[in-house]
Order: sequence, then structure tokens, then C-alpha cells
Amino acid sequence: MQTSPYIKAGLLALGLVTVFTLAWELFWRCQGFAISYNDDESLWANNRKKIYDSSPARPVIIGSSRIKFDLDLDTWQNITGEKPIQLSLEGTTPRPILIDIANDTAFKGTLIVGVTEALFFQPSPSFFETQANKRLAFYPHWSISSQISFQVNKVLESTFVFLQENTFALNALLKRLPIKSREGVFVPPNFPLKFTYNRLDGQTYMTPDFVKDTAMQAEVKGVWTKLVLKNPRLTAPEGDAKTKIIESVKECVDKIRNRGGQVVFVREPSSGPYHEFENKLFPRELFWDELLKKTETQGIYYSDYTELAQFTCLDWSHLRPKDATVFTQNLIPILEQKTGWKIRK
Amino acid sequence: MVFNSYTFVIFFALLLALHYAPLPWKIKKINLLWASYLFYALWNPPFILLLWLSTVVDFYMAKLISEQENHLRRKFYLAVSLVLNLGMLSYFKYGNFLLENFTMLASAAGIDFHAPKADIILPVGISFYTFVTLSYTIDVYRKKFLPEKSFLDFALFVTYFPHLVAGPIVRPENLLPQFKTPQQATREQFTWGLFLLTLGLFMKVVVADGWVAETSDFIFGLPFPVNPLDAWTAVFAFSAQIFSDFAGYSICAIGVSLCLGITLPDNFLYPYASIGLSDFWRRWHITLSTWLRDYLYIPLGGNKHGKARTYLNLMITMLLGGLWHGASWNFVLWGFLHGLYLCVERLFRKPGLGNDNLPTPKTFKNFILALLTFLLVSFTWVFFRATTFKGAMLLILCLVGVIQEGPKMLSTIDIYKVWLVTIGLIGWHWYMREKTLKDVTSKLPWWLFGLVWAKLLILIVLSQKSSGSFIYFQF
Repeated sequence: MQTSPYIKAGLLALGLVTVFTLAWELFWRCQGFAISYNDDESLWANNRKKIYDSSPARPVIIGSSRIKFDLDLDTWQNITGEKPIQLSLEGTTPRPILIDIANDTAFKGTLIVGVTEALFFQPSPSFFETQANKRLAFYPHWSISSQISFQVNKVLESTFVFLQENTFALNALLKRLPIKSREGVFVPPNFPLKFTYNRLDGQTYMTPDFVKDTAMQAEVKGVWTKLVLKNPRLTAPEGDAKTKIIESVKECVDKIRNRGGQVVFVREPSSGPYHEFENKLFPRELFWDELLKKTETQGIYYSDYTELAQFTCLDWSHLRPKDATVFTQNLIPILEQKTGWKIRK
Repeated sequence: MVFNSYTFVIFFALLLALHYAPLPWKIKKINLLWASYLFYALWNPPFILLLWLSTVVDFYMAKLISEQENHLRRKFYLAVSLVLNLGMLSYFKYGNFLLENFTMLASAAGIDFHAPKADIILPVGISFYTFVTLSYTIDVYRKKFLPEKSFLDFALFVTYFPHLVAGPIVRPENLLPQFKTPQQATREQFTWGLFLLTLGLFMKVVVADGWVAETSDFIFGLPFPVNPLDAWTAVFAFSAQIFSDFAGYSICAIGVSLCLGITLPDNFLYPYASIGLSDFWRRWHITLSTWLRDYLYIPLGGNKHGKARTYLNLMITMLLGGLWHGASWNFVLWGFLHGLYLCVERLFRKPGLGNDNLPTPKTFKNFILALLTFLLVSFTWVFFRATTFKGAMLLILCLVGVIQEGPKMLSTIDIYKVWLVTIGLIGWHWYMREKTLKDVTSKLPWWLFGLVWAKLLILIVLSQKSSGSFIYFQF
């Protein structure tokens, strides 16, 4: 029997795509890349649905990238017996998520809010809310079908290194082409490919190569310089705008507390010019202290404690994994002492 | 469930295994029906009740219509079907829109009326399956055919998952006869079905979601005017996105169905090579255009009652066609503009220029006319895509150069991507204008076709976008 040309073509296509996929995977593995998960809407939704059985030992964490790097979930689990629920998002103010949790009357648990002033105090609406709003819009419509796809995806992403959309997808790679952009158009700079990995539980950590490579660290410092330090659009709110932000946070904190929940703010370390920039633009007494005072909430500012202030951020903004472990070990007793919560097992 | 999801891969593999197992045809149809309910329920299970209601009522109303000789009773049963289907559609799709406009009118009349906004979720695909069931009862009423005797076949006709949520809008005569005899794809049909599925996924995952959606969403989401180049790029990005997204879905649906041995009608015929607007509507969302023609335009009188009435009928059809797409004045305006273009074209039409079903010569002049049609269609998409009327007008002022001082927002690489896709799409549609995909691929050597197929698959793998919803699901 003669095989139809369509069947022959289909078999050829199948063979070629299999060879290509394996070669593509091998190519990235040979360059030292390891498994990392897409920190996307589904992953966030998967963590979001767990918030209802939180406790001081198993708090919900919201914030920006710093608390995703600096709070080591495994270390926390070793000490407390429970793993926190990580809902923080990179480059994003946690306020929309705080509002969402505050409006969720079923949440009566414990919330740790990481504060990175340049993001936390951005007036609404802003670009720095985009990722949070995307996830908040997605979560209520997270269908059974999408949840099954997420489970399959989990298996695939645990197997294939190249399945990292923000790193190896065609669009992400095209954005790295050295094509000069039009004058006057802001093009976000690229982070090094080996900057971070993500885990399913929401933990983000620096890759071992990044920790060793000062050139890559300099590259990230360059990104912060362009995105933050020399960004004329990044300003601190004043007057009414600032009051409105703090009042909205207070409203959320009060809602959670009135239901029996509890909230604490944490300011994680920063270093070098980034630290200087933050001190200059967001002086502690005008922002952090006022936030705690107006919301009548406890807060832990890293520089008040020698155990938390001993670290230097390799990229000025985040702790390396080794330091995150120590930071977490040291943070827990301080949290217990400051809040009176029973956290350790 | 969407075609571009891992859930669908598992679902389809299991369904194929069942469909090709040595089981009686009736059992296979039951499998297809349950699979279709599952396909739908995995979005939002309670909405399956609406689907059941529509299926049961239309099945029995059609039966009653056919058994009755009394005109009034026949009309009554038809009215029950129309009221139920259009009532559900109106409540879920237009409830809030009607309430908002009523409140606005009341306020304009000095009446202080504040109704609370109802929290209505639109059931996926309701506009599509409502039209499918309506065509059935109307055709039975018109005595075009006798009502279906088998409830199983009718339920499968309404619910058959490839067409259920975003078309093609099938007619009873397309699908019901196919359920009468066992259907299995030949090996060649099966392979072709898989190729169509690949092509549809390529259009959705790579072109729509991967290359152009970001640009279109970004510019249409800005609350301020932009540079004219950015505005045009966003409009072309949306033209490419809506075509690749929707035609991609239809091609997936046709491919998936063909793998099961069941054919569905074509829904798109290279619309961006249309010469004129009536040609465009013969090539864009064909199953909706023909539905509107058969169940609205012709019953209104079509072109049989003089010029003025023809133009009025055209306008009504296009206005309602616009409203079918969504509960917003922007969609009505989009429909109005298309109606207006059709009227103007009809007024100045020369026979034989893209208006007949005859092949049009591929001359340079016709190519320019096709380009002009594409520009007009793209320009009009602004009302379709913008979320507010103000947003649409702002972008239009940028497009026509009234506002020139808007900032440049798009990077060079984003502009390259959109323009390359647009040029590629127009070129491909022009080349394919009078051809079919099957004709073109059958002339290729098998290895070259295999290479093309592999390239599509590789680009899908590289794009890594999955589970993005299709635009037409919201309609």
C-alpha cells in the first residue's frame, strides 16, 4: 500500500519538531541553565487559593521582588514546620493585592507585607500595578480547564529547561536583538538571562552563576540605574497623593484586623546607590514611619537590627540565596518578639 | 476549554481513542455528546443548564411546529423558541447595556432612576449556539426540512464541541445528515485535520498572541494620544490579531472535527484580499454573514422592494450584526459604518468587480482596490477594539494626523514585527485569493510540505504561549 504524501509530510514534520525540541533543550542545558517555572497568572492563582488557612507560622506574603528573594521559604519551613504562601510580584506594588485580600471576607489569617518604597508608594493607577491587576483579573476566572493545564504545565516545566516564557520564548529572544530603538521611546533594559530562577512555591533566587559573576551583577546594577536611579518618571508622592495611599492601606489593614487577621510590614535590605536613592527620595520618617504610625501596625525595618543589617546585596536590591537563609533565620525571632505571634514550632 | 491548552491535548487524545474504538455508532455519538458537555463545562459548569434548556425547548418546539397545521399555533411555538433564545441572549449579553441606557435616558428626561448594576457573567458561546438553534426552529417553521427525530442527534448538533463556543455557526443541513451514518476520517483526512489544527494554533499562538497582541493591547490601552506611526501600527496589529485569532479558531475547529470524520463549513476565505466591502463580507466570518443574510436581510425584504428599502435592510442587518458582537455603542457604530460602506458600494458598484462569485483578475488595479479595502476595514476595527467611544475617537484623530504631537511609544522591533506580519498577511491573502489551501499544498512535494508543517510546529513550540483565550469567546 502506498503511503499518502500528507502522511509522509506529517511524519517528517513530527520527526523534525522532535529533533528540534531536543536540540533546543540540549542547547540551553549545555549553557548551564536549569529548571525554572513561569511566574505567571496560573502560578499566582495556585498560591492565591491557599490563603484561607494561613497562620503566623504560615503567613501570606505580599510585596515586590525583594521579599521573593530575601525570605527563604525552605528555611522558614524548617524552623516553623509550615511554608508561607508567597504572592509577591516582581516590579509591582503589592497594594492592589492588599486591597483584594482585605475585601475577601474569608481571609482571617496573617499577612506579611514587604515594602519597597519606590513601588509601594506609587499612586494608583500606575504601570507598577499592571502585573498585580492582571493576576487579580485572572484569578476569579481560573477555570477547571486552566487548572488542569497548569498541572500538565507543571510536569513539562519540571522537565524542560527551555519552557521559560520570559527567557527563552521567541518574543523574549527577539527583544534581545541589538536593534536600536526610535529616539524618545523608553525600552526596558534586559536583565541577564542567568539572573534568577523561580520555583513553584513563588520563591525567586539568584542563579549560582550570577552569584559568582561580577560582570552579570554589574549588568543588573546598570538596569537599576536606568529603571530606577535615573528614571525621571519615578517620583515620590507628596501631600494628598501620599495621604490617600496611606489611608487606603490603613483601610485594608483595619478590615483584616476587624475580622481577626493580623498584618505586619517588613522593609528588606538594599545596598549602594540604590539604598542612597531610596533614602533620598523616600526618607524613612516621611514614608515608613508614617505608614506604621497611621496604620497603627508593627513593622520591621532591617537596619534597626544588626542581625538583619549585615548583608550586602550583590545587585544593590536583593539578597543572594545564602544570605536569604540567614536573613530568614534571623527575621523569625524578631517577628515573634515584635508581634507576640507564636511562629516557631 | 480552549484548543491551545494542554487540557485539550489530553481531552482530544482520549476522545480520539474512544471514537476509533470498535464501538457502535450510537455509543460514539453519546461519547461525542458527553465530551462536548465536558468541553463546555470545564469553563463554568452551571452554564451547561442554559445549553440544555435551549436544546430541549428547541427540539420540542420544532416537533410541535411540524405537527401543527394551525398557523397561529405554529407561530406561537416559534415565538416560544425565539423568546427563550433571544431572551437568554438579551439578559446575559445585553442586560447591563440596556439598563445603563435606560438609566441614561431617564436621567436625560429628568427622572432620577438608579438601578443597581447586575453582576451578570456572559456564558461562553451563547451568541453562537443561540444562532445555531434558532436557525433550526426557523427552518422547521419554514418547512425547509422536517424536525429531527433523534434527540441524541439534535443535542449533538447543538453541542458538538468544535463549533460550540466560537463557530463556525453550523446549519442543521451541514451537520445533522452526518450524524446519520458512522463517520470516521480516512488516514488522509485525519492527517489533513491535524495539519489544519497546527495551522490554526500557529495563527493563534504565534501570530495573534505572540507577535501582534502586545502592541495592539498596549496602544489601545493608553488613555492619551500617540504618534501617528504608533497609531497605524496598533491598528494593523489589531487587524492581524483579530483575523489570526478568529480564523485560527475556526481552522482549529474544522481540523479537529475532520480528525473525527465530520466536516464543518469554512468560515474565512482570505478576507484581507477582498476587493470591496461586499466581497469582504463574503470572505469574513462567512457563517455569520450568511446567517444574517438568510434569517434577517432576506426576511426583511432583501433587495426585492426597491432601492431605498434595500439600503434600509442593509443598514438594519449590519447594525444588528454589530450589536451581535457586543453590548456597546462602539459595536453598533462599527456595524453602522460597515452598513454605510456596503450602501455606498452598492450605489457605485460596477458589475464584475469583486462583487460576483466569479474569479477577479489579479491586476495591479485590483490589488490597489484590495489594499484600500484593507485600509478601510482596518480603520473601522478601531471602534471594534477600543473600549470606549472617546478612546476610539482619540486614536482616529491620531490616525488621520489631526493629533500629531502624541509621544512615540513603540520600540523599533515591535513596529518591525507588526509591519512584517501585515505585509505577509496581505501578500498571502492576495496569493491565495482564488485558491484553496488543499490545492496549494497538494502541488508541493511531500518533503517541502513536511518542512513547512515542521516550521509551524517549531514556531508554536518556541512561542510558549498557551491557554490564551480567543477574542471571539467574549461575543
